[in-house]
Amino acid sequence: MLMTPSADRLSGAFFLFFSIALYFYIIPSFVEPADDGNIAPNTMPNLVAIVMGLCGLLLTIKPTDHQIPDHKFMLRAALFAVCIGLSIYAMSWFGFIYVAPVFALVLMLMIGERRPFWLLFGVIGMPAVIWFLVTQVLDRTLP
Amino acid sequence: MVDFATILAGFSDALTVYNIAFIILGVAIGQFVGAVPGIGPVMAMAIAIPFTFALEPLAAIAFLVGVSKGGLVGGAIPAILINTPGTPDAAATALDGYPLAQQGKPLKATKMALFSSITGDTFSDIILITVSAPLAILALRMGPIEILALLIFAFAVLTGLIGDSLLKGIIAACLGLLCSFVGTDPENYTPRFLFGMWDLYDGLPLAAVAIGTLAISEILNRLSQTSANNVRAAINLTSTNNPADSKVSWTEYWSCRFTLLRGSVIGTVLGALPGIGSTAAAFMSYAFAKGSDKDPDSFGKGNLKGIAATESANSAVVGANLIPLLTLGIPGSVGAALIISAFMIHGMQPGPLLFENQGRLVYGLFGAMVIANFMNLWIGQLGLRVWVKVVSAPESVIFSSALLMCIVGVAMSEGGIFGVAMMLGFTVFGYLMTSFGYPIVIFIIAFFLGPRFEISVAQSMALTNGNLLMMYKSPVAMGLLLLSVIVVIWMLKKMMNAYP
Repeated sequence: MLMTPSADRLSGAFFLFFSIALYFYIIPSFVEPADDGNIAPNTMPNLVAIVMGLCGLLLTIKPTDHQIPDHKFMLRAALFAVCIGLSIYAMSWFGFIYVAPVFALVLMLMIGERRPFWLLFGVIGMPAVIWFLVTQVLDRTLP
Repeated sequence: MVDFATILAGFSDALTVYNIAFIILGVAIGQFVGAVPGIGPVMAMAIAIPFTFALEPLAAIAFLVGVSKGGLVGGAIPAILINTPGTPDAAATALDGYPLAQQGKPLKATKMALFSSITGDTFSDIILITVSAPLAILALRMGPIEILALLIFAFAVLTGLIGDSLLKGIIAACLGLLCSFVGTDPENYTPRFLFGMWDLYDGLPLAAVAIGTLAISEILNRLSQTSANNVRAAINLTSTNNPADSKVSWTEYWSCRFTLLRGSVIGTVLGALPGIGSTAAAFMSYAFAKGSDKDPDSFGKGNLKGIAATESANSAVVGANLIPLLTLGIPGSVGAALIISAFMIHGMQPGPLLFENQGRLVYGLFGAMVIANFMNLWIGQLGLRVWVKVVSAPESVIFSSALLMCIVGVAMSEGGIFGVAMMLGFTVFGYLMTSFGYPIVIFIIAFFLGPRFEISVAQSMALTNGNLLMMYKSPVAMGLLLLSVIVVIWMLKKMMNAYP
């Protein structure tokens, strides 16, 4: 019988395979062994991988009725995440002062804001408040 | 354990102008963000933590406690005015608050929520101040084996009580533990999961994990549900011309005394247990109030007792949440976990030793909590009309500003863009976890408890010569393990009934 794909089956299968990768590849490759001590550095990660894998398997077999989120929402969230990622990357090159207003403007336009007052407030006002708070009040540097 | 002079010194520390200023600021910010649907005190606390680096420890923690307390008061405002709770805790408040606002009495409803919130909060703070020191003395007598059993019990309770699926709760806890293993192992200090990134040598950055999973992932979730050209409009409030409808009289407040007391007790008891949370307390208190009232049909139609029951209970949880945190080092909620991270950022480890090593700071915190209650009342009275306007602020400004604050905050705390990149990674992780129904609160608490859990296992292994079955020699440990088994069996039974 063909199983209906569900959020829990998908995530359960993911955690099952992730745990297998964790146990057989990631932990042996990225946890350095030690000769002394009461528990080896890989004991707890291995235990966690086994428990997580078992839970993933059980979740795949017996899922709840949790639904996969709407693709539209997930795509929109991905779009915003990419926008945040690009702004962080741009900040590492050009700095907060130049990137923050552009980022705020893009974000506000994406949300649907068109009112000039609120656009000005979000694009100029808020970055200026943050600049003042961080550099003048807290005496720290901006990214 | 803590002498009287230290207690007095702690309370006097809280009374300095510097600390009071940060308490006022925290309460005002908390009420402000609580009034904005979608932000809430937890997100505000997560964003504020990096900014508290520049502060002295007491001011930093008092500020965060102020945000938390203020947030609960503010959260009731949108619940009452637009039937949209600013925080999940306030969902039950909307049941009677919104009908009262619809009857033209929005200020009466918000003021009743304010007074009830302060009553519950003060009650639980008194309990916290009274019981935490004796509990810490008891906790100090516990050895590594008992601590390990206690942590196992905490995990059992947390995993079982939050979320609709035990399996998802366990997976979330495993992920939290796995993330806590990044860095070096606590016994031999050998590198683990560094993947060639030496910035991870000290572990995953606390602020990046907390802000990414709690604050930005929630913003991302809200942003994904907005659609272009559909920016939330301002609201219109109706009000009568009768001045009595804009205030709560002493008679009205006094008539709710038993409801307030019961709500405070329920909130305090549930708050002291890790993982139950203020939302459950609010609904439980509401159910009790409705069940015991002579006129239960009036509930849901604008009964002041409904507001009193929910607000006193959900606010009483805040102080009580600090009982397991300060005495045992176990956070009972996300808010408490964030306060733990603030403690750790300032070089302090919450737990029974905190009373011995930092007694003055602990009593300073208690003093700050009492002051925060007064400030909540004062700022609430003055600012209620302002916060009423806040609920109509556009999401576009709020979310873009919050994102900028998060980026700057993490960059400040981690000293560079690496932490910000990690924050983005945990944002996506938090969003996916929430979307697929995994409880993020379990992940965060397991992340904070992970290192302590591993150390306790290592110490217990050393004490028992590698045979953890020797734990049966400790009656306390055995009792806690038995309780853990009972909780897990109960949860399994509950799960079987829910998903036959």
